[in-house]
Amino acid sequence: MLEVTSIDAYYGEGRIIHGLSLSVPKGKIVSLIGRNGVGKSTALKSVMGLVKTPRGSIKLDGREIVKMPPYGRAKLGIGYVPQGRDIFPQMTVQENLDLGLAPKGGAGKIPDYIFELFPMLPKFSKRKGGDLSGGQQQQLAIARALAAEPKILILDEPTEGIQPSIIKDIGAAIRKISSRGITVLMVEQYLDFVMGISDNLHVMEKGRIILSGAVKDLDSQKVQKILTN
Amino acid sequence: MVQLVNAAFNGLSLSSIILLTSLGLAITFGLMKVINMAHGEFVMIGAYMTYITQQLFLAALPKASMSLYYFAAIPAAFLAAFALGCLTEKLIISRLYGREIDSLLATGGLSLVLQQAARSIFGSQGVNVEAPDFLKGGISAFGCTFSYNRIFILILVSATLLAIWILIYKTKFGSHMRAVMQNRPMAQCMGINSRRVDNITFGIGSGLAGLAGCSVALLGSVDSTAGQSYIVNSFMAVVLGGVGKIAGTVVGSAIIGFSGIAVESFTSSSIAKAIVLIIIIVFLQRKPQGLFTIRSRSLDE
Repeated sequence: MLEVTSIDAYYGEGRIIHGLSLSVPKGKIVSLIGRNGVGKSTALKSVMGLVKTPRGSIKLDGREIVKMPPYGRAKLGIGYVPQGRDIFPQMTVQENLDLGLAPKGGAGKIPDYIFELFPMLPKFSKRKGGDLSGGQQQQLAIARALAAEPKILILDEPTEGIQPSIIKDIGAAIRKISSRGITVLMVEQYLDFVMGISDNLHVMEKGRIILSGAVKDLDSQKVQKILTN
Repeated sequence: MVQLVNAAFNGLSLSSIILLTSLGLAITFGLMKVINMAHGEFVMIGAYMTYITQQLFLAALPKASMSLYYFAAIPAAFLAAFALGCLTEKLIISRLYGREIDSLLATGGLSLVLQQAARSIFGSQGVNVEAPDFLKGGISAFGCTFSYNRIFILILVSATLLAIWILIYKTKFGSHMRAVMQNRPMAQCMGINSRRVDNITFGIGSGLAGLAGCSVALLGSVDSTAGQSYIVNSFMAVVLGGVGKIAGTVVGSAIIGFSGIAVESFTSSSIAKAIVLIIIIVFLQRKPQGLFTIRSRSLDE
């Protein structure tokens, strides 16, 4: 589905990622895990086209996208939920959701299952996006990314700064999204959450992947050790 | 009483003229945060376009249907400034996003180039735009005269405001525009071509300057510095109202217009300008973000 092959990524002049390769099979939930500052978010931003990637290849369904601007990638079916959620603060919840349809040219309707996943959304439809709590913003951001029915959903630390009860809801929502055939690529720091819902896991350190495998084959103690070391 | 009505109408009229020249700036400076020093020259281009349309009509049509030229001049002024605005954005401003000082200098240079170009083409002598017949004269009420062309500017500015409101809040392009202005990278991730949105938004702001030029051409002779006399008031109106809020620009223009006329009735017009400037400086000392501020949870706004 998504094939990243030996990319370098830069923030200004600084190289954050060195020759990263990553494969996300169709329909799976794939997680990237690692300590702060190892380049996890940058890896997702390179897939989205938000950072410079002068070397390497990124293919979506066999199509090369590494030179495409972010809006081109969104139109090909990549839904992105960034770390700070990046809700448009001065726009209402409804307007934020409607913008989710922009990759399809603004036409069409928001799929009904999104409101089953996040039943709070219709209640708040007239509120400003910036007035919602962190958890609500996270749910809105995921809903917005799903509105145009993407092939792959990219989530950057969906549990960050969110209370435990909502984390459970978000975990359940991600599983339901996956069961609809949408591929998920996720960055996380919260190991138990990741082990609970992912199919494949990649551990990153210093801009490289140092350990990969299916979650059922990996020893969570070993991963924990790498993360706390 | 007569004096009061007269002063109120003059205040309203001056406010509407300031507002008309500020609306384009409220978009390019207010929403896009681009300091376009050549904005006044887009006003001048609109005024010269009106003159050109008038000359074309004079050459081609009989005297009786002359007044119609103004209906052609309005879209011509808007489109000429719109096209030049899009071109300026594409060639200069889009390369300097995030470098405010550089874009200020570059557009300052453009301003000089456009002024000199106008002098080379039309001469340094001002040219006159004749008001169409239906805008000559005025109505008398309460013992004073309200001239038609000032009433026309009031109507034009109201119509323009309504059109901007519909564009920004009721159309798909408007929602894309707001998304890009609030968070450019995220808007791109939503599949919005932000370069195109930036380009057209800047074009619209410039087009509005052209529209303003078309109406200020009625008020006096047009020369290469026609825009300069309005631009200072326009920047003050946008800053006073609060950058980023069009409603703020409306109130900002009203404050500058009315206080200018009020002070003027006691003193002279040059003292009035100085006093209005002092009022603005004192106000901005107290409230540096202007009258209308955007509430937000995010820390950097």
